[in-house]
Amino acid sequence: MSESSPHLVVRGVSKRYGPTTVLDHIDLTIRRGELVTLLGPSGCGKTTLLRAIAGLAQPDTGKVELAGRDITNVPPHKRNVGVVFQSYALFPHLTVAGNVAFGLKVRGAAKREIDAAVERALSLVKLGHLGGRRISALSGGQQQRVALARAIAVEPDVLLFDEALSALDRKLREEMQVELRRLLQDVKATAIFVTHDQDEALTMSDRVAVMNKGRIEQLAEPRELYLRPASLFALNFVGLSTRISGTVLAADNGKVDVETKLGRMSALGNFQAGSPVIVAARPEQLRLGEQGEANSAAGRVRSVVFQGSRTLVEVDAGAGESLLAELSGRDGAIPRVHDEIRLSWPVTETFAFPMEAQA
Amino acid sequence: MTEAALPAPVAAPAVDRERLAAIGFVLPSFVIIAGVFALPLVLLLGVSVVDANGLTFAHYKRLLGTPYYLGVIWNSLRLGLLTTLIAFLISYPAAFALARARGALRSVLLATLFLPLAASVIVKAFAWTILLRSDGIVNETLIALGIIEDPIRMIFTETALIVGAVNIFLPFMILPIYAIVAQLDPRYAEAAATLGASPVGTFFRVILPLTLPGIIAGVALVFSLSVSAYVVPTLLIGEKYPTLATTIAKAYLLAREPGFGAAAGVVLLAIAIAVVALSARLSREPK
Repeated sequence: MSESSPHLVVRGVSKRYGPTTVLDHIDLTIRRGELVTLLGPSGCGKTTLLRAIAGLAQPDTGKVELAGRDITNVPPHKRNVGVVFQSYALFPHLTVAGNVAFGLKVRGAAKREIDAAVERALSLVKLGHLGGRRISALSGGQQQRVALARAIAVEPDVLLFDEALSALDRKLREEMQVELRRLLQDVKATAIFVTHDQDEALTMSDRVAVMNKGRIEQLAEPRELYLRPASLFALNFVGLSTRISGTVLAADNGKVDVETKLGRMSALGNFQAGSPVIVAARPEQLRLGEQGEANSAAGRVRSVVFQGSRTLVEVDAGAGESLLAELSGRDGAIPRVHDEIRLSWPVTETFAFPMEAQA
Repeated sequence: MTEAALPAPVAAPAVDRERLAAIGFVLPSFVIIAGVFALPLVLLLGVSVVDANGLTFAHYKRLLGTPYYLGVIWNSLRLGLLTTLIAFLISYPAAFALARARGALRSVLLATLFLPLAASVIVKAFAWTILLRSDGIVNETLIALGIIEDPIRMIFTETALIVGAVNIFLPFMILPIYAIVAQLDPRYAEAAATLGASPVGTFFRVILPLTLPGIIAGVALVFSLSVSAYVVPTLLIGEKYPTLATTIAKAYLLAREPGFGAAAGVVLLAIAIAVVALSARLSREPK
């Protein structure tokens, strides 16, 4: 199978629990070797989608294909998937090596083969020396690694991580993100992560699927997701932004003029005149002073937060609107609280979103 | 200087006082356990090996050397083992069903398990005699339905004994297993399944080992209760199924042989301790 051919295909998958639609006709195609994150708030359906792929939740409609095989009605133990659970679910009655060997043992592999695979998997996660330990004798970070080794040892067609890093403390989590990504790339694993942590999603994935209310709102590379959010929800969920509400005055070929309480602005988007919209821009696009061909607004500085390489400045622009600018230290003078300042940002970095999708 | 030096002489006796207080707190329970549990056991052991002429093992020789008394020991063992086995086979799935039940259903099921514990074992054993005797409810119903013509002999059979014992001791098997099953993370079974284990494989490799502590607790409880049961065999089967417990009672109440009764008590205790110790050993066995 070539690198770019579809490896995991989810087609029209829906799932309802009683009156609640948890998954609403999900389509998702993942290539071999790709690392994809399902990102969204709790209740958005991301875990249910992961469980549907693993075979732990049966979708009401739709199909799941893995490595060219229709697995929609295949029970989980015949799917060849690897799952790393949030709680790890390591078997407490087995040793570290016993846990890692479990998948191969139930497959009836030969002892020599099992021993070799266990050793390989444990050395991959840098726990080669702890094979004889009991699970209860391990730290949280070590347990996380054992769970990973256990899932990798069977060489699954896809690895599924259900909030797998969220139980670790922040520093360890950030280290694991980088290490895990490198490890998965080394073994050429195809993996899906479920998380509500945008930093984790941006760090770990080749592509991110932003989920909301049982739908995928946007599936894009992290950079594109940040620079070109497809919806107000995606904009809000990943990164910070300035958002101003207004009404479309005129529309012209992918560009709209919007009347806001802070004056007339231009933005990218396709709307009919009269539509209520939100115009938005990322904070690093906002600059002090005027620029040519740019939107601008003025106000009084409400807060200044120094964050090392950057400084976040929040401006009260009046009429209940506020502006958020991220200024780098090299931009010269950083304003102080209560200063009256004007900020401007390019029209090509200003987006209009329909108002009702407010998240 | 004086301020810094002051705490030291106060702190040193404080440690001793703490230790003294600890001993003071432990002492009453130690005295109670020693006086109420340990001392009677020592006396029992003493009575079983001492008679008017001094040290003797005659009671043990009689117990372990006579075919009749070996039969009695076997009867007790058989009652304990059969009751434990059948109670386990019923309790294991029942504990899972109980753990899976939600809300009011779970409360009702738990109450039906707990409430009979409030009734005396004599009441429950008598209830079984009423149900099972020749003109009892079971026989009358079967005859009325035309399934049988003449009453079946049910009371005073081993079947009646085991049915009654299982019924009466069942909660002691279900509850410890239920306590473990209720806390069993469903992710374990899911993890096993995604690793390729079939439902049967998942059961034997994961569910059974993880619920073993509950099984062992239940087995130890039900076995020690049923192997030493007195009321249940007396009322449900009677004279023809002598057990160690009924033998002990007879030795004390009728034959006036306290030495022999004590020896039978020690044998019964040894059997129960052996099974409980074996259970505890099994639960600690690392795989």
